[in-house]
Amino acid sequence: MRKSRIFEVFEQKKGKKLIIYTKNLVHGKKVYGEDLVTEDGVEYREWTPFRSKLAAAIMKGYLNIGIRKGDIILYLGASSGTTPSHVSDIVGKDGFVFALDFAPRVVRELVYLCEERKNIAPILADANKPETYADKLSLVDVVYMDIAQKNQAEIFLKNCRRFLKKDGYALIAVKARSIDVTKKPRQLFEIVRKEIEKELVIIDYKILDPFEKDHCMFMCKKK
Amino acid sequence: MAKENESYKELESRRSPESLKRLYLENLKLTKKAIKESTGKDNLIIQTIKSIEDLKVGANKLAKRLREWYELYNPEFSRSISDHRKFSQLIISKSRSELLKEIGLKEAESMGADIDKKDIDAILLLAVQIITFYDTKEKLEEYLDNAMEQFCPNTNALAGSLIAAKLLEQAGSFEKLMGMPSSTIQLLGAEKALFRHLKTGARCPKYGIILQHPVVAKSKDKAKAARMLADKISIAVKVDYFKGEFIGDKLRKGIEDKLK
Ligand SMILES: C[S@@+](CC[C@H](N)C(=O)[O-])C[C@H]1O[C@@H](n2cnc3c(N)ncnc32)[C@H](O)[C@@H]1O
Repeated sequence: MRKSRIFEVFEQKKGKKLIIYTKNLVHGKKVYGEDLVTEDGVEYREWTPFRSKLAAAIMKGYLNIGIRKGDIILYLGASSGTTPSHVSDIVGKDGFVFALDFAPRVVRELVYLCEERKNIAPILADANKPETYADKLSLVDVVYMDIAQKNQAEIFLKNCRRFLKKDGYALIAVKARSIDVTKKPRQLFEIVRKEIEKELVIIDYKILDPFEKDHCMFMCKKK
Repeated sequence: MAKENESYKELESRRSPESLKRLYLENLKLTKKAIKESTGKDNLIIQTIKSIEDLKVGANKLAKRLREWYELYNPEFSRSISDHRKFSQLIISKSRSELLKEIGLKEAESMGADIDKKDIDAILLLAVQIITFYDTKEKLEEYLDNAMEQFCPNTNALAGSLIAAKLLEQAGSFEKLMGMPSSTIQLLGAEKALFRHLKTGARCPKYGIILQHPVVAKSKDKAKAARMLADKISIAVKVDYFKGEFIGDKLRKGIEDKLK
């Protein structure tokens, strides 16, 4: 096991395949059936790009995901917590994740995860209505969004404007199909790019194929 | 601007470890409460219709297995009756010779093997279970009928409890169904075909679940009937959502007359 180019993300070869890991914050516990590997007394959780768009972005060559140990993150579209659990590993016990989703069914699972991990707080709310949860979080170092909604860029900007610190990073996973099924994904990604660029600086962009079909991820920075 | 500045300061002040700890505890508590309060009658109805569908699929699958098994012993009788529930009941209550007699055969002429009583009893255990599947399904349908009549009387009167519940299931919640235009309601349950149409230009589907409604199923122009029914359903759903007066019978009669 060795450090990867991303903070707090580790990697090793299994045969020809490169596999990435995060250090397990809660010893012995799996979150979604992922493999646990122990080396020199440290336990790591496998992070598969087929289950997590952030892992896919790293595998596709992101040099930096903007998330560091001790950071405070706003995670929009947390679902039952697959990717948030790895973000929680990365920021560690001195960092914090506000994990928001509007579907009660998945947030129920997220609550169990938060009870195990004291650095994630669940929020049941609509990301399109920041005023309903502004009193439930703090200013954050990073906004991460994965909500597959038609007006996701607008929702993203709204949240960055309100909760992201100056010079903070923001990541958004874009699903072409949820915007318009009749247009070409690349075309749609360009439209989203233009919208985001009105307020944020885009510093990296990757198409997530073959891990996630017709998805891309933008990494941005607040001016 | 002054206010914005203020809230920024406030947000910044919550970054301390003590504040985060407090936010962790508060959010956990609030979220649990919010989840508890998010369950409405529509969630219960959706689980009911899903259970009814699962019971139907399960009973059918087990009944096919039961027949394969029982036919080793008495194939001719199994072949003579197609209703799974009746078949299961009869093989429990009557002997092989009685059953064969009913279809005019003698035991000696049957292709069925002579097996031990223990072996027969094992087969009948499965038959008992299948009957309870059908019984449970029937009871849940009665419960659903009552629940729908109270929850959305207009939609229920117009579409029938099973179709109305399936529409709710596809929409995901009553609120979502309420927000749908009638053209979407018309195609609920045909999402795959719709997606194919948008992506590849295949034929556009004309109806989804509402095809199961008698006024659509019996109509010569199904597309037109589906559109009319969806229009009326969308009205009924809105009336139910805002707890308006009962016009379900009128709506149903209106569409039945027009499509005669
Ligand atoms: C693709 S899933 C996210 C998966 C997750 N990011 C992971 O990798 O583990 C998208 C989630 O966004 C949520 N979502 C969609 N629109 C939302 C909104 N407006 N506000 C909050 N959550 C939303 C959905 O409930 C769903 O759980």
